[in-house]
Amino acid sequence: MSDNLERGLEAMRGQMDTSVMSYMSTCVHCGICADACLFYTETGDARYTPIYKTEPLRKLWRQEYTFWGKLAASMGLTKKLTEQDLADWEELVYDGCTMCSRCSLVCPVGIDIAYMIRKVKEGLSAAGYSPGDLVEAGKRAVEIGSPMGVTLKTLEATIRVQEKETGLKVPLDVEGADYLCLLSSGEIAGFPEFIGSLAKIFKATGVSWTISSDYFEATNTGVQLGNSKMAATLVERVVAAAEKLKVKYVISPECGHAYSTIRWDAPNFIGRPLPFKVVHIMELLDELRSDGRLKTEGFAEEKLSYHDPCNAGRRGGVLDQPRNLMNMVAPDFVELPETGAMNWCCGGGGGVSSNERANELRLKVFSAKKRQLDAVNIEGLVTACSNCRHMLEDGLEENEMYDVELLGITELIADHLVEEGG
Amino acid sequence: MFEQLVDGIFWKISLWVFAIGVLWRILSIFRVRNKPDYSEPRGSGLAGAIGANLRRFMPRSEMISRTRLQVVAGYLFHLGLFALLVFAAPHVLFIEAQTGLGWTPMPYWAFIVSAQLAFIGLMLLWFHRIMHPVTRLISDADDHIAAILTFIVMLTGCMALIEEFNGLRVLHRFTVELWLVYFPFSRLMHAFMFIPSRAFTGAWFGRRGVKA
Amino acid sequence: MSNNRQSRIRHHRMVVFSLLSLLVLTLVLPLIPYAVADLGQSAGKVVNPGADLWREVRQRDRSVIGSTQVKGVDSGVLINVYGEDWRQFRMQRLIPYGAALMGIVLSVILLFYLVRGPLRLQGGPSGKKIQRFTVFERTTHWFTVSVFWLLALTGLVLLYGRFVLIPLLGAEGFGMTASACKEAHNLFGPMFLVAILMLFVTFVKDNFYARGDITWLLKGGGLLGGGHVSAGRFNAGEKIWFWIAVLGGIVLCVSGLILDFAVFGQGREVMELSHVMHGIVALIVITVSFGHIYLGTAGVEGTIDSMTTGYVDEAWAKSHHDRWYAEVKAAAVEDSETEPAGGGSASTGVASPTRDG
Repeated sequence: MSDNLERGLEAMRGQMDTSVMSYMSTCVHCGICADACLFYTETGDARYTPIYKTEPLRKLWRQEYTFWGKLAASMGLTKKLTEQDLADWEELVYDGCTMCSRCSLVCPVGIDIAYMIRKVKEGLSAAGYSPGDLVEAGKRAVEIGSPMGVTLKTLEATIRVQEKETGLKVPLDVEGADYLCLLSSGEIAGFPEFIGSLAKIFKATGVSWTISSDYFEATNTGVQLGNSKMAATLVERVVAAAEKLKVKYVISPECGHAYSTIRWDAPNFIGRPLPFKVVHIMELLDELRSDGRLKTEGFAEEKLSYHDPCNAGRRGGVLDQPRNLMNMVAPDFVELPETGAMNWCCGGGGGVSSNERANELRLKVFSAKKRQLDAVNIEGLVTACSNCRHMLEDGLEENEMYDVELLGITELIADHLVEEGG
Repeated sequence: MFEQLVDGIFWKISLWVFAIGVLWRILSIFRVRNKPDYSEPRGSGLAGAIGANLRRFMPRSEMISRTRLQVVAGYLFHLGLFALLVFAAPHVLFIEAQTGLGWTPMPYWAFIVSAQLAFIGLMLLWFHRIMHPVTRLISDADDHIAAILTFIVMLTGCMALIEEFNGLRVLHRFTVELWLVYFPFSRLMHAFMFIPSRAFTGAWFGRRGVKA
Repeated sequence: MSNNRQSRIRHHRMVVFSLLSLLVLTLVLPLIPYAVADLGQSAGKVVNPGADLWREVRQRDRSVIGSTQVKGVDSGVLINVYGEDWRQFRMQRLIPYGAALMGIVLSVILLFYLVRGPLRLQGGPSGKKIQRFTVFERTTHWFTVSVFWLLALTGLVLLYGRFVLIPLLGAEGFGMTASACKEAHNLFGPMFLVAILMLFVTFVKDNFYARGDITWLLKGGGLLGGGHVSAGRFNAGEKIWFWIAVLGGIVLCVSGLILDFAVFGQGREVMELSHVMHGIVALIVITVSFGHIYLGTAGVEGTIDSMTTGYVDEAWAKSHHDRWYAEVKAAAVEDSETEPAGGGSASTGVASPTRDG
């Protein structure tokens, strides 16, 4: 057996748990998961069927964890998992899956398929079968502190611009602040007004906050790659930064997987509870709203809708908060058809948008999103994830849908803050 | 000779294989443990586990238009089969003779209708399985054997309806025994396994405050 | 054509020939003892001394309905005068003529196959495929096929079993088989109604008369030579089969329901009539289905794929259903030319390619 294969198998063995054992015994091959997955519905290619993407894990389960499977494999009656299988599944799992978990919500027998695909990624990445772009991003994340190569200098420069624009201070390294805010490189590079918006809102609501110069990256390439060790390393840096500044809360910014990682998976990567609470920025804003501290005035002129980022909404549980916030500034906003926990993925999550090889595919499956948008006559789409925003921009451009503007929810709220003074 | 085997030792063997096999399959999932979850839950995992078990009996509204045939045929088959297994008079009498537990069977016409609906559901599902590109790709021998064997059990039962020929009754019982022995080693285990699977998924999402 | 292909075709033909001959012989041979028995009928008969009396009682013209204490359907009829007629019809007409019909048509088809051979695709396949039937259409078709054949085979056992199967299984064994077949036939009968309704709703819209159908028929669909004949999604032959299957199916279902559920006050005469219709229509539909099956499988190259994979070669489409092919191509062009509306009206052109349930 090759080293690659052995590493892959060992990684996947480490991923076996009761849930997987149960799921593998339950699937009846009904194929309904495919009807929920945009990579199947928009391409018609049956190989993108979610449960099919878990084949490498299923084969391992069969040949090592079941009586008849072990017997059949030892007698040579069934084909064992090979390195070629892992190689063949790379494209299906990394290009053809954003781990949006829509499939997990529709399986009639209750299988969490995305949960298992995450485990398949552990095997593939250990065996060396992950997209080169993502591997490079992971290296940068570990070595530089950002998968996109955004350094502290870049952040500081961005902060200075935002301070100038808002006339407010962005607190750096304030020990004892209540909230430590993480940022995604995508935001810093693409939507820096998020930082200015935070400054405005927190000043108006009296929130004590800070950013850490030791470590500020919200995203976790280890999660996207399926490399738990890398994921743990990156999480430890957040924990260290938070502990150093003795904060009570860590804010997960406008990013999908950053939230599900730091809020839900991080403690398990490091094997202990986090020494702080985690909130998505939308959770915090909604709390401030219900406390009466966050006050807005005026309404958005354009007809708006909201796109739930998969990892914040469906996988994260932040579903009501964005609606409460939208109602503050756009009470007549329309919901997309099939929204909330059943929203269609933008197609760029889970590392897909960082993987250039998947460009054509992700733009092709954008037709699912387009179908949702075509059903509502909107002028602006609000979201809470910078990666979704980039993907949505790409998709809208590709489809020449120039009439729809993309907005970040934090900025939208900040733009409607009640003016201070007087 | 064959009749004595079918009514005697084969029956005992098939019941034991079924009971021990099913128990073994269910318990064996615990050979590997779930790792503890150190995250702070937003909602109750237990409520999620129970909720998912109940909620997933109904398809989500977003999915119904895409999976209409499977939803309709699936319900027809499962509900029809359940009705005729548990409430058809010959079965009620059989169970009473075996266990002493009895209950009111459904009227004969309801038995017939349940059987017909179950047949329609099963046949539509199987043909859909071999016609749809997704299920064509992911189906294996187990899927087909399970469907066809169930069909044969139902058909032999139907053929023995007037309860006039012992040979037909024996044939039906024999196919049931084959089915019972096949059950624990096959796809048919989903009849039990859906409960822990829905529970694990329901708990995972429930902790996050999402109704799964 | 390579030698390999030629010998494969020859082998194929031999297999088909043997199977069909076997079927024909099975249907025809058992009638021989009948014919012999018929011929020997008049020799050495013993006259029933009460024959005259009972003939009077029967009063051939119509059933006399007397009064009786027992209240019920037909309970006032001592002897049903049509009973013997019905029985004679079943034994002397329905059974032998049905066998002859099926046997002759099978033989003709076989002969046609051996002489004319399958209809080959002119110029060979193009390699490009277009979708002809969706998943739902194919599932409906095969569901109907399986219910139909279960009913047809069990029905044929009820009609012919005593001739063909008693020699094989003995009287006891046949009794059990016939009982099993009757129960299965009765249970699946109402399911056929569901299947026929599904089939009707799924396929009716393309099975109405359209211009070109008469021409197609007059040209024999190109089956007897004469080259390409224009047709829409379904040609006239397919439409005729559709209506025979649906209308025949409805007659079978209605007569079958009358026979199956004899608790709604049907008297013997209604049952006899229903049985006669059921038997005649069943044999006709079965016979016509032989043609449908032949043309859908061995008879026309490239056809079976339409119902198994749902896709056909474009050359096949152009050759056999040119008007349908043109419509499909035009619709595809329309789809690709539709400009995506910028977040505006609902686009109907950009449909999910897999939304066919």
